[in-house]
Amino acid sequence: MCWPIALPMRRGGRSAVDNSYVYAIVLLLPLSAAMVVFQANPYQALIMRGILGSLAALIYAMLGGADVALTEALVGTMLAVTLYAVAVRSSLVMRLGVLQEEGMKPSLQGQPLLDYLRSLLKRYQLRLELVSYTDQRTLHQALAAKEVHGICLPSAVEQTYDSDGDAPCILLRVPRLYEIFAAELPGAIAESRLYSPEDAAPLPKTPTLTEEHG
Amino acid sequence: MTLVLIAMIGALLIPMIEALRDEDIWQRMLAFASIATKTSVMILVIAVLQDDWMIGVVGVLILSVGNAALMLLAHIIKRLSDAIEG
Repeated sequence: MCWPIALPMRRGGRSAVDNSYVYAIVLLLPLSAAMVVFQANPYQALIMRGILGSLAALIYAMLGGADVALTEALVGTMLAVTLYAVAVRSSLVMRLGVLQEEGMKPSLQGQPLLDYLRSLLKRYQLRLELVSYTDQRTLHQALAAKEVHGICLPSAVEQTYDSDGDAPCILLRVPRLYEIFAAELPGAIAESRLYSPEDAAPLPKTPTLTEEHG
Repeated sequence: MTLVLIAMIGALLIPMIEALRDEDIWQRMLAFASIATKTSVMILVIAVLQDDWMIGVVGVLILSVGNAALMLLAHIIKRLSDAIEG
């Protein structure tokens, strides 16, 4: 079977693909597709997808499918790449809840930890987003309400989880993140724990009516 | 005219190799911009070569819209790199 015969004929009976340069351009398509497949970073893969879309639009237009080329350029390149960029940006993120005084001033203890966490998460194509909370009670409530993926507790107030040394404790509720942190985070920098719903949050004792009367 | 097109295919290989080798994301965006413009101009050349105005109109549209997609993507990547650094 000789496939160029089956391709559409242009006006005047001349084939659209009667030139040898078509084969050279068509060969670029699997090359750029392989570049998309073997790219680990999602943003760089999106750029490769744009390159693939441009080449595909060129080939479609060359073979006579002008409408297909226009659709590939509009939907395949512009809309898909933009939507995927927004989706990747909002999904590949780890939200870490921190106490406000720790987040505001770069303390000697907190800043190396954050730098280490950023470089650790960057290997997994994640980025770190800090969410500040005013006190420890709202921090635990945010973790229980699934507003954040983990919270960073300073060592000074972390008494109930019997942490050893003065390393801060990172409480995580996502099991996969806990696996990464347990395997790759040294205990001297921070200690990681998996949050379970029966973990009693160290809520501050509030004076109740019974105490006043009793 | 075909020789012009073959020369443009050779020029198209330069940003492809650049996108393949360089790890920096902005260098890859530059390669993407180069490829998007070059393919659009090649569509225009093919339209003239085949005397087909429909392909020519599509080439003009792709030339303008492809760069719009590039600017949108660059904006998102820039905001992302700002968030990582700052």
